[in-house]
Amino acid sequence: MTLLVSCPFHCFKWLHCFNNSYTFLKFSGTVFFVQHLHMSVFSQSFSPCGRFLAAGNNYGEIAVFSLSSALSPDATDLSQKPILTFTAHEGPVFSLLSTDSHLLSAGNGEVSAWSWAELIKRVIHNLHFSLFSFVFSFISIPPLQENSLVIGGGDNNIHIMDLESGIFKSVLQGHTDYIHCLSVREREGEILSGGEDGAVRIWDCRTGHSVHCIEVFKYEDCARPQYGKWISCLTTDSDWMLCGGGPSLSLWHLRSMSPTSVFPLSGCQRQATFYQDMILSVGEGQFVSHCLMGGEVKAQIPCTPHSLNTLALNLNSTEHRVLTVGGSSHQIDVFANLYYRSFSLSF
Amino acid sequence: MSDALKKRKSKVVRSETGTPEGKRGRGDGEQEVRVYSEEVELDGSDPAEDYRQYKLTCKALAKLMNEIQELKANGAKDGCAEVEQKRMQSCIHFMSLKKLNRLAHMRLKRGRDQTHEGKQRVDVLHLQLQNLLYEVMHMQKEISKCLEFKSKHEEIDLVSIDEFNKEAPPEISRISITKDDPHQLTLARLDWELEQRKRLAEKYKESLSSKEKIQKSIEVKKEHLSSLQPGLNAIMQASLPVQEYLSMPFEQTQKQIEIARHLPPSLYVLLVQANAYGQACDKSLSVSISGDVDEAKALAKPPDDSQDDDSGDSDAEEEQEKTKRRRPTTGGQLDDKRREMLKRHPLSLCLDLKCKGTHTHTHNGSVLHLFFYYLMNLNIMTVKAKVSTATDLTGAISAGELLNSDTLLNCLYANDQGRETPNPANRYQFDKVGISVFGDYVAELGHPYQWVQRLGGLQFPSETPEVCDSLSASHMESTMKLLRGRVQSRLALHKQFSSLEHSIVPVSSECQHLFPTKVLSRLSRWTAITHHEYTNLSFTRHVSDAGLARETDLFFLAVVERGTARLQAAVVLNPRYPEISPLFALSLSWKGERAGRSDDNLRAIESEVNVFKSELQGPRPGHQLLTNQVARLCVCLDVYLETDGQDDSVEGPREFPREKMCLRTARGPNRLKPFKYNHPQGFFSHR
Repeated sequence: MTLLVSCPFHCFKWLHCFNNSYTFLKFSGTVFFVQHLHMSVFSQSFSPCGRFLAAGNNYGEIAVFSLSSALSPDATDLSQKPILTFTAHEGPVFSLLSTDSHLLSAGNGEVSAWSWAELIKRVIHNLHFSLFSFVFSFISIPPLQENSLVIGGGDNNIHIMDLESGIFKSVLQGHTDYIHCLSVREREGEILSGGEDGAVRIWDCRTGHSVHCIEVFKYEDCARPQYGKWISCLTTDSDWMLCGGGPSLSLWHLRSMSPTSVFPLSGCQRQATFYQDMILSVGEGQFVSHCLMGGEVKAQIPCTPHSLNTLALNLNSTEHRVLTVGGSSHQIDVFANLYYRSFSLSF
Repeated sequence: MSDALKKRKSKVVRSETGTPEGKRGRGDGEQEVRVYSEEVELDGSDPAEDYRQYKLTCKALAKLMNEIQELKANGAKDGCAEVEQKRMQSCIHFMSLKKLNRLAHMRLKRGRDQTHEGKQRVDVLHLQLQNLLYEVMHMQKEISKCLEFKSKHEEIDLVSIDEFNKEAPPEISRISITKDDPHQLTLARLDWELEQRKRLAEKYKESLSSKEKIQKSIEVKKEHLSSLQPGLNAIMQASLPVQEYLSMPFEQTQKQIEIARHLPPSLYVLLVQANAYGQACDKSLSVSISGDVDEAKALAKPPDDSQDDDSGDSDAEEEQEKTKRRRPTTGGQLDDKRREMLKRHPLSLCLDLKCKGTHTHTHNGSVLHLFFYYLMNLNIMTVKAKVSTATDLTGAISAGELLNSDTLLNCLYANDQGRETPNPANRYQFDKVGISVFGDYVAELGHPYQWVQRLGGLQFPSETPEVCDSLSASHMESTMKLLRGRVQSRLALHKQFSSLEHSIVPVSSECQHLFPTKVLSRLSRWTAITHHEYTNLSFTRHVSDAGLARETDLFFLAVVERGTARLQAAVVLNPRYPEISPLFALSLSWKGERAGRSDDNLRAIESEVNVFKSELQGPRPGHQLLTNQVARLCVCLDVYLETDGQDDSVEGPREFPREKMCLRTARGPNRLKPFKYNHPQGFFSHR
């Protein structure tokens, strides 16, 4: 198993085995409201069983929601509240990732693992993990190399860590700025990364060298100088790659290394995903965009937060197949049907 | 025949008139004249015999008549001897018939006379009987009257016989006589009683005279004492300066205690509590009583009268109801009723709390005056507040609301706005006189805050059950601390506002490390706005929606400018500041309008100011929070503007050259700018 994380800065320390028991966070009075007023949701991940959703916010808290109770017919307001909220990191939780048994969270300089089985029982128990002095911002899963975690971070490098021993196996160097996003092509054994410098780099896991470097902002079709050049979203599906950010969201054919369609979406996109024959994308703007491969924007579905940071599809369970989006609000919108917002989970 | 009748008649007359003569004659003797008297005959004859003779005569007459008839029929001539004879015989019979008739008449007369005589006798006897009966009855009445007679002595409570025998002197008791005669005994006892009473009357007279004597002596003594009063007064007057000099205000406290007796219970409790607290813990607290003492005395003195008043009131109420029924629009009387209901007790308490300025703000000698009133008919207490300061505080326009006596004490405890009466019973009273909201009268009567009631020992069940663990005496301390804190924070704010209005953000030396030395964004405006204006601002909607902008809060609009960029910040200042921190909502006009809701970076500045405020509080109790927040706002705007260049390579001269040191200009999916200032190194980083 491999994990990918991207983060800023340049020195790391190791900390082993801290079994911290966290107390439940207690807010009181207006502090509660003020915190909520300024909350942003940065990351989401569904449990392996698909019945739970974990979400991380800018205060370093992770909330676990029960989808099964929120989706049940006799759901109340209370079932839209988290079954568990705990402070996982000091800084924002930029990335969450579920393995078969654990929830991995990337925070301010550290990656922590939480057992899903325990979280569901509302026990908070931090498993051993690494402490860096920089922040991780993105995680995705490349199931090629067992027990390895790919971390992209603030030191402009990508680190591959062995989860068994906790030793960094290799460092992929090449980006000149903060790495926003990572993606793994399973069959080809390639890692893709996009960052603040505007480049999408394709790495070969085995050699640890950069195979290709696409500077998206240099393509006229995509470039949007009024925004900038950074790449903040990146995802792949066989030979296809989606990337966007400062430049427009665009679909690339990887074998020809050329953009096939550019989506006319205003604002910067922060996360996108392939879903069936569609592309779902979120970013600045109070909506989820549905795009067709051909480059048309099919629909824009309104939602609660004013700008969206994260989107997640629950494919682990057919019963609770939902789309959830989070952004600059304490609410996480749940779409049972892709075409309208069903309800909102709330921190 | 007519001759014969005449004769007979004369005979009868003669015989009748001759009757007494006949009697007399008989009495005299028979020898004188022998007079025929039928009366004598009458006595001798028997009526029955007469009746038989009458029958025989009649029969014989009838037989003779028949014989004459027969003779006549046989043709005998008148004058015929036989007939003549027979006629002679019948005449004789007629004579006897006549006699019999006379006798019968006489007998009847005599019978009548006899009957009359007997009747008269009976009457006389009956009369006598009646007289006797009446006499008997009268006698009986007299007897019963006598029997029922009550003597006065029965009402007199006499000493018992034993006691009498024991105590009375023998010349009165006279045992020998009285032993067997209860009448004499009673008389003796009465004598003894009289004797005793006489003696007691004597004694009473003596006592009276002695009493008079004593009274006279008392009066003399009184006169003497009252003649001492002016002298004593003079001495007291003379001693006042000494008391004052020695700071032992005996007389004043005594006076206060005297007046305090007329205070209503709740104000009295407050007075005692405040005095006790002031003496024990807080020398800067002083209490005084003001108001019309005489009126209070009049109010308290006749409890009977007040009862009468009550009944009168109820009467008046009934009357009023009647008139109301008749004329429902009569407003005058209702007004009077309202005034009566909202009447204050003539006495009020004035509590002066001296607030020493915090060491950074030298507002020495500012005093919080609290005036506590008691509404008699509503049974609640109200308070009015006033702040007097030694220095002149005019100048800050936006600070006008800060020391407004109407809002100064709002929300001293959470949600205690003092606009609704805390006594649930009042609602029904209000319904009666048509008061819909007590809040309309607050300006005139003062605010009925919950804490005021608790200070006065009044407790009412509240609609929302709340756990209140600080009551009674411990309440005094916490409230006084809160009051002082409130005034100090308001004074501090007052001072801060006047400098904010001059576009200066005061940063104290303790807080210098929170901000970089060079801040280019400048506060250009600081104005107070109303709640309505606040809610009308487009970029404050999320705050209003979250229920964090209440009408009791104070609202301000700050404008921070740098170059062409203009940042508007709408500030909500809770009355409980600094315990509850101010809330900023931002809107930036620079290359178009951006609001905190749509721009993630502005949102981050908002949270930097609103959420991470604990480091901004400065020295306790955090009076510098607001100015530090404004200062941080300026710093954050600097960072925002300086890091906003999308492409470093393009464009010529930037409007805002980057001067701040930043580790990284963007981070995370929403590419936030680094707003956190790290002190000694002087660079900016992300949270």
